[in-house]
Amino acid sequence: MDFRPTDQQRMLAAVARDFLDKRWPLAVAQDVARDGRGLPNDVWRELAALGWAGLRVPGDLGGSEASLLDVVLLAEEMGRAAFPARYVTSAVVATAIIAAGTSAQRQRVLPAMSAGDRFATLALAEPDGSGPDGIALTAEVGRTLDGVKRFVLDADAADHVIVAARGGGGVTLVLVDARHPGVGVSSTTTMAGDRLFEVTFAGVPVRADDVIGPAGGGRAILDEALAHGAVARAAEIVGTAQRILDLTVEHAKVRVQSGRPIGAFQAIQHACADLLRDVETARGLVYHAAWRVDAGRDAATAIAMASAYAGTRGLAVARRAHQIFGAMGYSAEHPLHLLHKRIHAASVESDRAAHLDTIARAIGLA
Amino acid sequence: MSIDFALGAEAEAFAAEVRAWLAANPPERFPIDGMDAGYGSGAHSRPFLQALAAQGWISMTWPRAFGGAERAFWTKLVLLEELALAGAPFGPLTGCDQAADAIMARGSERLARELLPRIARGDATFWQGFSEPGAGSDLLGLTTEARRDGDDWVIRGHKIWSSHAGISSYGLVIARTARGASRSDGLSMFVVDSTSPGMEIRPIVSLTGGVYHYEVFLDEVRVPGDFLLGTEHQGFRELLQSLDTDRFWGRFYKAPALRRVLDQLVRHANATSRGGAPLSRDAYVRRTLAELATDIEALRLYFYRIGWMLAEQVPTRYETALGKVFADETGQRVGAFGLELLGPHAALAPDSPWAPLGGAIQHFYLTTMGHTIAGGTSEVLRTTVATRGLELPRDGRGVARGA
Repeated sequence: MDFRPTDQQRMLAAVARDFLDKRWPLAVAQDVARDGRGLPNDVWRELAALGWAGLRVPGDLGGSEASLLDVVLLAEEMGRAAFPARYVTSAVVATAIIAAGTSAQRQRVLPAMSAGDRFATLALAEPDGSGPDGIALTAEVGRTLDGVKRFVLDADAADHVIVAARGGGGVTLVLVDARHPGVGVSSTTTMAGDRLFEVTFAGVPVRADDVIGPAGGGRAILDEALAHGAVARAAEIVGTAQRILDLTVEHAKVRVQSGRPIGAFQAIQHACADLLRDVETARGLVYHAAWRVDAGRDAATAIAMASAYAGTRGLAVARRAHQIFGAMGYSAEHPLHLLHKRIHAASVESDRAAHLDTIARAIGLA
Repeated sequence: MSIDFALGAEAEAFAAEVRAWLAANPPERFPIDGMDAGYGSGAHSRPFLQALAAQGWISMTWPRAFGGAERAFWTKLVLLEELALAGAPFGPLTGCDQAADAIMARGSERLARELLPRIARGDATFWQGFSEPGAGSDLLGLTTEARRDGDDWVIRGHKIWSSHAGISSYGLVIARTARGASRSDGLSMFVVDSTSPGMEIRPIVSLTGGVYHYEVFLDEVRVPGDFLLGTEHQGFRELLQSLDTDRFWGRFYKAPALRRVLDQLVRHANATSRGGAPLSRDAYVRRTLAELATDIEALRLYFYRIGWMLAEQVPTRYETALGKVFADETGQRVGAFGLELLGPHAALAPDSPWAPLGGAIQHFYLTTMGHTIAGGTSEVLRTTVATRGLELPRDGRGVARGA
């Protein structure tokens, strides 16, 4: 048993902290969230130059084949900086799906993604919001893709869209060129500043070499990629919650009321103690889930626990922090609301009910 | 060096050894002599303690100089975890460990020579004489006094909430030995034989109807000079140092014990129908049990991390306080949902023919009311987390009024 990251992991986290403090301070995160312009291309290229876009890309395709724990440590720093959602969507989930594809597919896409020249997004959710269990859009090889997906991140800027469709008697994953004329996007604004789109597919051909994995056999690939993404999202939440905790404690030390810092009042102290409890216990579950994945152990229950717990406790941390910050936390100027909204955005990807059902089966409920 | 949750081959082999021994020596066959207070260490059973001793498991991590086998730190955690998962009655073990650690760290040569072999054999057990009627969370308000009389000390005072005191061999009693500049100076710790003349140990019936705590009256109780444990007048500081790790050892087995309670609830839900439908198919039941299982896992991992810190001698500042609060509040949630799951049957007394699980859930639920109080209330410990872990100012010692 050991709880020390490797020197390399410590370096990764330190470089991330430094880069994000400079390139993505909370003031910038707030500006970008407010004006809805999304992640600037140069920032994406710079983080790719640091090797982050290729962390999960195989070594022979320009990546570093890093562990999920490495991704987790980086994602914590991104969460701390209220960094946009694209990293996990493209560099973790989409990368894992494409890495399960044919050699030609991998060669065609992953080196460019690793270099930061391209990125991919995922078209999974249906207009009713349902996920992998409710896929309705159909895709059969040799026919065309016609229909609508919703909640697709950064669809206007993405190079590739991985479409999770129903076909071949199961789930078929189709790698679509985002710039195909049959792909139309319409944007919607969100509270955390994520650029989410409704994507319309009209007569987009489904060729055999666009299908990732067996036609009708994409569910396992999708589930594994989403599971790894869930761990990374949970790590983002832990990082964001840690930032909230840090800001809250700092506030409690300097905000003076009735002649003393509010942090000297037990009501505030005890609330802060609970924030620390939530952050540290969530982090333990997240590291444990990542370790199980990396060690090749059965990780489904650990991932469900990490994802469900981080989402709930992260939001609880944010709400309690609002109470401690008082009126100031209600203002748009203060960063608390953005951190809160980012935790929400990261947690909605996690299907809490499904996670709890996974756990219920694992503990032996019939 | 890298993050690794595996205990390692040696610890896993030892876990298998403990499990095999438990299978050959079913814990329920050992006679019980004291109440299970729900912490996870089960009931008090001297015969079970002696069976553990016969395996060499009480002293296995002690230094060889004290008769130990110098086995790795993790073996102790493995032992406690396996015993708790099995619901074994190892109630006195943690007290024995803590007393042995204190004696090895700062006891006299005589204490080590006389008591350590008896602890290793399961022949000496311990109660704590810390709290007093007027000194609970404010331990420094204690009024028990010890005065020198020749080579001996003579103690006079009144202790309360001492677990298993009526059935244990020795008390660790803290008493005032001098009036110092501050209240925390001038306190000393003594090892007091429970059979000493002048001791009166009265049971306190608990909310379960069983007896766990005792009240102890010390009327001119004579203690040999070398049964002073630690430095004269420095007993409080030394106690504070050990309390931090004692909190770890007193709660490490809570997660596996809660997992055992949860497993009982799962089996009950699987085997029980209400209104024609199995409880286990009810979405609320499933998801609530899943949430509790998640909390228990978070708790287990948190205590593993503290265990690693202790093993690596990384100083703990607030972690054991945070862990204890989380452990005990999680336990209360598990107990409360247990009652809810059992419905009207939860109220039945354990001897009722219809009481599910032998009344174990009701008993557990009631005992959890004491957990957030004993060994540091959740309020005091949250303050510890805030002031030591987050460096918030101590209450009343912030900036001056008007500053």
